[in-house]
Amino acid sequence: MAYIWSYMKKYPLTLVGSFLGSIIFVIVNLGLPTILAKIINESLINEDYSSLWQNISWMFVLVIIGLLGNILNVYAGSRITTSVVRDIRNDMYRKIQNYSHQEYETIGVPSLITRMTTDAFVIMQYTEILLRSALTPVLMIAGSIILIFLNAPSLSWLLFSAIPFIILIFSVIITRSRPLSQQLQVVLDKINLSARENLTGLRVVRAFAREDYQVKKFGRANDEYANLALRLNKLMGSAQPLFAHVLMWVTVITIWSALGPLEQGSIQVGTILAFTEYLFHALFAIMMFSQIFMMSPRALASANRLKDVVSMPISIDPNSEGVKRTSRQGYVEFKNVSFAYPDEPEFEAIKNISFQAAPGQTTAFIGSTGSGKSTIIQLVPRLFDVTVGAVLVDGVDVRDYNIKSLRDKIGYVPQKINLFEGTIRENLQFANKDLSESEMDHAIDVAQAGDFISGLEKGYDSFLSEGGSNFSGGQKQRLSIARAIAKKPSIYIFDDSFSALDYQTDAELRRRLAAITTQSTVLLVAQRVSSIVNADQIIVLDKGEIAGQGTHEELLAGNKIYQEIAESQTNEGEVD
Amino acid sequence: MDTLMKVWPYLKTYRKQFYLGIFLQILSVIASVVEPFMFGLILTELASNVADMIQGAAGAGINYERILSLLVIYFIRGIIFHTSTFGANFFITESIQYMTYDLRQDLIKKINRLPVAYFDSHQIGNILNRLTSDVESISNAFQQSLLQILNAVLTIFFVFIMMFAIDWRMAILVSMIVPLSGLAARYIIYKSQPYFRQQADVLGELNGFVQENFSGFEVLKLYNQEKRVYEEFTGITDELYDVGFKASFISGNMRTVLAFITNISYILVAALGGFFVLQGQLSIGNLQAFTQYTWQIANPMQIISQVTGLIQSAFAAINRVFEILDEEDEDQSYSLELDQAITGQVSFENVSFSYQADQTLVENFDVNVEAGEMIAIVGPTGAGKTTMINLLMRFYDVNEGRITVDGKDIRDLNRQQYHSQFGMVLQDTWLFEGTIRENLRFGNLEAEDAEIEEAARATNVHDYIMSLPQGYDSVIDQESSNISAGQKQLLTIARALLADPQILLLDEATSSVDTRMERLIQEAMDELIEGRTSFVIAHRLSTIQNADRILVMRDGQIIEQGSHDELMAATGFYNELYNSQFDQ
Repeated sequence: MAYIWSYMKKYPLTLVGSFLGSIIFVIVNLGLPTILAKIINESLINEDYSSLWQNISWMFVLVIIGLLGNILNVYAGSRITTSVVRDIRNDMYRKIQNYSHQEYETIGVPSLITRMTTDAFVIMQYTEILLRSALTPVLMIAGSIILIFLNAPSLSWLLFSAIPFIILIFSVIITRSRPLSQQLQVVLDKINLSARENLTGLRVVRAFAREDYQVKKFGRANDEYANLALRLNKLMGSAQPLFAHVLMWVTVITIWSALGPLEQGSIQVGTILAFTEYLFHALFAIMMFSQIFMMSPRALASANRLKDVVSMPISIDPNSEGVKRTSRQGYVEFKNVSFAYPDEPEFEAIKNISFQAAPGQTTAFIGSTGSGKSTIIQLVPRLFDVTVGAVLVDGVDVRDYNIKSLRDKIGYVPQKINLFEGTIRENLQFANKDLSESEMDHAIDVAQAGDFISGLEKGYDSFLSEGGSNFSGGQKQRLSIARAIAKKPSIYIFDDSFSALDYQTDAELRRRLAAITTQSTVLLVAQRVSSIVNADQIIVLDKGEIAGQGTHEELLAGNKIYQEIAESQTNEGEVD
Repeated sequence: MDTLMKVWPYLKTYRKQFYLGIFLQILSVIASVVEPFMFGLILTELASNVADMIQGAAGAGINYERILSLLVIYFIRGIIFHTSTFGANFFITESIQYMTYDLRQDLIKKINRLPVAYFDSHQIGNILNRLTSDVESISNAFQQSLLQILNAVLTIFFVFIMMFAIDWRMAILVSMIVPLSGLAARYIIYKSQPYFRQQADVLGELNGFVQENFSGFEVLKLYNQEKRVYEEFTGITDELYDVGFKASFISGNMRTVLAFITNISYILVAALGGFFVLQGQLSIGNLQAFTQYTWQIANPMQIISQVTGLIQSAFAAINRVFEILDEEDEDQSYSLELDQAITGQVSFENVSFSYQADQTLVENFDVNVEAGEMIAIVGPTGAGKTTMINLLMRFYDVNEGRITVDGKDIRDLNRQQYHSQFGMVLQDTWLFEGTIRENLRFGNLEAEDAEIEEAARATNVHDYIMSLPQGYDSVIDQESSNISAGQKQLLTIARALLADPQILLLDEATSSVDTRMERLIQEAMDELIEGRTSFVIAHRLSTIQNADRILVMRDGQIIEQGSHDELMAATGFYNELYNSQFDQ
């Protein structure tokens, strides 16, 4: 709740408006029976017509005020809830933008999405309930107590004896229902899981003829759910009758104990009526207030999830004060670098890596799966930070750079292709928002993507759907490469970026790339020896360490691992 | 209404509880509706007593006996009200929750009976949603709104009766609330609906935006797109703020308007009623009763307007749920029993098949496989090798010709019996949340622990299992992410081995495993193939060379078949394929 308050207090005027609206609401709801009591006491019993019309007009005034007050209340409430949820989402997003791999992995992308959409929504609903059910009932109870003391002080003891009963009833119901509703969520997840497994493994289930087994398995979760739901609903259903029961006792006792005073004239009939109505409002207010506690567990869980996102420590600091310009361009150096993934700190994915790469050179990395080749190049643009040693770009440790300036130097084509929903042009403009048409043409041409784009009706304005699913793997890869080329970086990094291309396109592309990268540094990770035969230096990796370094010919002659890899790729015979 | 009737057969099973609940609810409403009147009697008595005392009439005073008897009746009414309200909820809850259970069970049974083709053309997420959220929506709508709506309608009905019994003029006055509230509510819903729809749209946009940007965060960083993207994001949240406010404000004022209408009636009741009392045409108690009836009518109107939204979404949910339930089952008919295990002889006789009418996939295909033979299926990606599996497993049926095992047309056989003769190992390894032991036992539900261990040993996975802290009782989690891809593959092979099938369908594709693991998997697969009739989607040279026959597929068609030597000699597509792959 403190979390929500920190956002609500940004709108003090609106909060005051909401407060005002609630007060008016309470005044009207308590005012009307008060005036009615007056009518009965003064006008009716005394048969006074003029005071009747007077009181009626007061009622009228009150109702108009009530109307305005209510509108104010709803206005303020809507403003606050929508503002709060907008601010929460904006803050979350700004924070998430600074996340690195580690933070993303800690929470997980699907969970982040849910938090941004659903959890924020739950908080919005809860805020609405808070505004409606927190302020008004409290004022209502206060108002009722005041009025009772003013008009029927001798009956006030009844109110105070009734309140503990009501509070007791609702505390019991709440404490019993909370664990039930939490468990209900858990079991609903189980049902979800059981059904999802059945669906994803459909063919296997049928192949092994396990349909009955799955149905029975599901039935167990279903059964558990039904039992819980029964208990919970029956429990909640007892709230209203219990409340009515207490109210009835109080009413009966009120009347009975008012008989004496009535006879003596110290209490009036209309007052009894007003009292019962105040009582009803007070006790009903307690019930409304308890709604907050019913909704709390869910809201608390969501609030915590949101707080976790915002309070997550950032592992890779953007270092806005860092180095922005350097005199040299394109020099990459690894000095004794070791790196362990944050979730496996004892296992070093790469150990003791040292090498240098200069402009005009192509440095290739090769090794079997898990040898660490992708890990190494991810350290250059600081997608991760080293645990031991240092990575230097143009003589400066990458951690000392302003991170944007560092990344401006690098054109990175990741293994997993990521194009965004939008036109081809917009995607290429990631490299440079002021990209000229000729620069675009050039990049596309080098990347061998010209032929299929010219075949498109809208050319560069053709639309890419989410994930680029309306284009083939090879086409997407070429666009991804064009995007990097358009950036005109001093350092190119290719992470197995040619895998979806056929032999000819691959060869042609690399030829064109070689032509434009004469002044740039190229770091290349590959699976196939055929992609790297012309590299200036090849670094062979095995289990995270450098197992060999040299040209293709040198390694083929003297490096056992390199020989093995080359051999397996010619003889193993993958038929596909 | 028809939509609601679809659910009726499910409720009908529990109609005893349902009817009892409804009966109790009616009782509860009646008890509730007479309350103002009874309270009014007491007040009237008190007021007339007091008036007598003021006028100084002889013997004037509080009539204790009468008040007492009125209080006792009031009390009894109260007890009736409380117990019947509780009871109504109790029994309605039972009927609804049991109904919900049945609905879910039927859905899961249906899922296991629908033809595989259905799932190839529908998204999993969509289907899953119906089983969870939609059923939940139906259950909630019934649970929360059923009684409330019943309550509201009955209340209004009985209140009408009570009011008209007391004083018809006042009754008409108070009754005006109903149509006025109804009109106001409809107008507000009409005005706010477009904003709610817009809100849902923008929320969808937010979802999509966030989905794409979080998944692609790496590229956004590498190209320094953060600022631009943030502006786009705040654009969406601003739009959401705008449209959300309008939706909330307009619909929120439903309460305001209804409250205003109620309050005005309250005033009119006080005014007119007060006048009648002064004229001697109405008792004070009944005046009070009418003011209470004003609340008693207003409340249900509010509830109905609140609950309509819930009911609307339930309607949509009911339709989606029954869309699945009304689908046609897979054909389960059979005419032949498999009284003993098949030998493993399989024949394709003049088989033609296509997924869609205008494309031919397989045409006039014949192959005769003896028991124990190994058939390798090769071809470039997308050639249609999985179609073979689909046909053999009867996930799809042939269009022309027939497939026979031991001379029997597979369409004549009982599906479950037929499937129990098969073992399948696919590239997409599927395991479920549970222990390793349970997952392996999935292959043979009666397998003893010793048999399970034997199968694990034979498939090179026993050592790995024993290296885990809890061995065979180690739990595989939901996404089966706590074991590597290679180990998963081995487990599925062990599972298939346990099933001890006569015919094996195997996909050799192994992705992202290192050479050592690959060797282990290959050995395990060889172990599995040994002595069984196997159809193998082949990726290894050794498999192809050892196959009794090779089926060469391209563009969905089987274009060549024969042994390796025969096909090489034929210098056709196979020859080309074989040579090009090794031309590094």
